[in-house]
Amino acid sequence: MTIEQTQVGDKVVLHVAGRMDAENAHQFELRCESCIAEGFTSIVIDLSDLAYISSLGLRSVVAVAKKARDKGGELRICRMTGLVRQVFEITKLSQVFPLHDSVESALIGG
Amino acid sequence: MARTESLSPVTEFVRKGAREANLPESQMRELELVIEEVLMNVSRYSYPEGAPGMVTITYSVPASGKLAVEVCDQGIEFNPLTATPPDLTLDLKQRPIGSMGILLLKSFAQSLTYRREQGWNRLTLAISANL
Repeated sequence: MTIEQTQVGDKVVLHVAGRMDAENAHQFELRCESCIAEGFTSIVIDLSDLAYISSLGLRSVVAVAKKARDKGGELRICRMTGLVRQVFEITKLSQVFPLHDSVESALIGG
Repeated sequence: MARTESLSPVTEFVRKGAREANLPESQMRELELVIEEVLMNVSRYSYPEGAPGMVTITYSVPASGKLAVEVCDQGIEFNPLTATPPDLTLDLKQRPIGSMGILLLKSFAQSLTYRREQGWNRLTLAISANL
């Protein structure tokens, strides 16, 4: 899994590529915690190149979203496709996190 | 041994079975997801934290396009099929951080059977080629 970070104003966009599974989901969580510790509580994750996510990946996403919210911020998700989108829909996390079609839409928010 | 480092070799082993069963490449990720969820359940529920545990995985190809995988462990009795399903109506604040693994397992495996036999948990799952 690779995570590319871009700052847009007071928000951070993380482009997460590859797989989020038992072996590396914690890496994502640590990265987000680092952003939050730096004061970036509004985080957009671009999943356009994430091919796979397991329940441990979902666990990390939910954990990060809760932490961001506790700090007055929010986690937004955009551009998920294929199996990743399917997993979010099966678990109804697609209703917990509004799914944006673009980074721009996620940055504007709502 | 029930460790996350064991995941990749197990996945590769099961992928070999999937190729023998002529499952399409497009279903490989679904198969990997099912296997990961099964193994994580074994790690979490069957063996106490920190204790080593043996897991055996075997596969068979009952027909072209069909793969059966059996995952067995000698841990605490645990039947994932009877686990309480998660409440999917909860909002972010109320949602537990975990608890999605068994739901994903049930969603992507075409069939699941469990039995407890002579101290072993035996979970058999079947994946069929999507038509």
